[in-house]
Amino acid sequence: MLLKIYLKELKDCFRDRRTLLLTVFLPVIMMTGLTFFYEKMISDGEGENYKLAVNESFDQQVANAFNGVKNIELVRDADPEKVLQEGDVQAALILDANFSSKIENGEKATVTIIGDSFSQKSSNLNSIVRNILAIYEKKIISERLQANGMKPAVMEPFTIEEKEVSNQNPNASLLAMLIPMILAIAIGVGAGPAASDLFAGEKEKKTMEALLMTPVKRSTLLLSKWLTIATVGSITGIITLVVVAFEINLLTENLKKAISLGDKAVLIVIIAVLVSIVYAMFTASLLMVTSILGKTIKESQSYSTPVMMLAVFPAMILAGIGVNELSFQHFAIPIMNLFSLLKELVFGIVNYDHIVVTIASNLISMIVFFIVGRILFLKDKWVMN
Amino acid sequence: MIEIHEVTKKFQDKKKFVTALKYVTFSVKEGQVVGLLGENGAGKTTLLRTIATLLTPTEGTVTVAGYDTLKYPNEVKKRMGVLFGGETGLYDRLTARENLEYFAALYGLSKHETKVRIDDLSKMFGMRDYLNRKVGGFSKGMRQKVAIARTLIHNPEIILFDEPTTGLDITSSNVFRQLVHQLKREGKTIVFSSHIMEEVSMLCDSVAMMHKGELVYQGNLEALYQSEGSRDLNYIFMSKLVRGNEHYAS
Repeated sequence: MLLKIYLKELKDCFRDRRTLLLTVFLPVIMMTGLTFFYEKMISDGEGENYKLAVNESFDQQVANAFNGVKNIELVRDADPEKVLQEGDVQAALILDANFSSKIENGEKATVTIIGDSFSQKSSNLNSIVRNILAIYEKKIISERLQANGMKPAVMEPFTIEEKEVSNQNPNASLLAMLIPMILAIAIGVGAGPAASDLFAGEKEKKTMEALLMTPVKRSTLLLSKWLTIATVGSITGIITLVVVAFEINLLTENLKKAISLGDKAVLIVIIAVLVSIVYAMFTASLLMVTSILGKTIKESQSYSTPVMMLAVFPAMILAGIGVNELSFQHFAIPIMNLFSLLKELVFGIVNYDHIVVTIASNLISMIVFFIVGRILFLKDKWVMN
Repeated sequence: MIEIHEVTKKFQDKKKFVTALKYVTFSVKEGQVVGLLGENGAGKTTLLRTIATLLTPTEGTVTVAGYDTLKYPNEVKKRMGVLFGGETGLYDRLTARENLEYFAALYGLSKHETKVRIDDLSKMFGMRDYLNRKVGGFSKGMRQKVAIARTLIHNPEIILFDEPTTGLDITSSNVFRQLVHQLKREGKTIVFSSHIMEEVSMLCDSVAMMHKGELVYQGNLEALYQSEGSRDLNYIFMSKLVRGNEHYAS
């Protein structure tokens, strides 16, 4: 009987365009958008072309410093700042009057860089120009020291070397935040319509009364409906993971470099799918309760939406926490543990203790919410309008 | 066939209790068609839901076909078909056939029994042309036929209809009335609530009148006409209500 009800509910759900849209297309669209956004964000402007406004009488020696940089075009104009304001260039570089003679005479000269910190492209150009000028500055210092019979090393008594404790690409932390956030939202959004429809929707359409009039146990009805919600959520989760894996592997360079799963790749993918399914089961219980509490689909959705928004907070909390700083509570708190575990997996870490704690925590929470749902579903007040 | 003894049903509304049924005692014999009359809020739907095992009485007992509804709800459900509110209770994204097959499965019918039953019901209601179409695009009349067919899919002995013709056009209402006549001929026990007095006087052997959760009259329709000296059920119903209100006022 359970199977018959479950199969009918699945058929009904997937005939609903909303469910189909939110289960299949939404994860694809969300993941594609965010993957390309993050790829662009971490690309450091590689492959971008820039325009830099300079004075008409721009110093030739400084201009020579830009010769090796092919992606910057110098735009000469009487008023570089105005050209920047009009949006024709991304930054402006203004040199002191008599810049060359000041440098030759050893006097202090000023260089002004004008940029727009609200523009990513302008910030990138600003940073490139700073680097070029810093090299040019070093060259001048070196020439001056040599002219005075001193070694350039005088100006550099020691060198600083920085080493990372982690041998992972720092961009992996961005993915560690991106993947679980999209996964959590996608599972919630994907399973939401099915959950609302299966309890609040049935009450609204009066099919619940017809169902309750059949000699089927209420607990069987509850279990089959919960299984349907969990299945829809799991399918959404798996599609999300497949899409993110596919897009990062085939359509990005920087994000692909950020992940190095090595020979654990298959194991990590299996664990990620398993954790997504367990999280979908937990979400199904939670959404089931919000749907039973609602008399109509609309009411049910007004309860479930804020609950699903909870999935955004762990991303904020864990953003500043290193993968080696994650402790027991990060894996014991539902929702938070999805982020924590996937963060480890993105960094190529497979910690079985953490996996067990995460799965156990989600299963316990799922059972608690399922029991709450069962108590409500056995009461007349919550099953009939 | 249906025995209701001293049934009271109270609902909790925030901190206070609302009494929907007050010590209702009422019986329906096998093969009888009983009309349940009353104003909105009189307790008709609560009484039907209590008989249908959907609500648990606060006090009293309900016995259907010899089974106590609290002790043997599934035995009662197997023998009963219920339709609340005309053409509701259907899955719009499923076809009429899929709706019927689903409920047949829930009532434990075999594939063969289901096929035979769907064939019989679709013939009875003239549903063959749209049996394989999704219910979402149906007219009210078509939906009503499918909803009634769903109610009768397991061939129940007892049928409860709660305001089955409310909101339906004349053609669809007539389909329902013809069906009740046919079910009556087949010896089914039927209880239905209605606001339409002509419908009740046309279809019922007996009536039960409810007012503010109490049963103010139950008996044979002919006997009622004779005792009241009128065959106008509308007039009789109103005078019963007036007497009921005077009783409350005193």
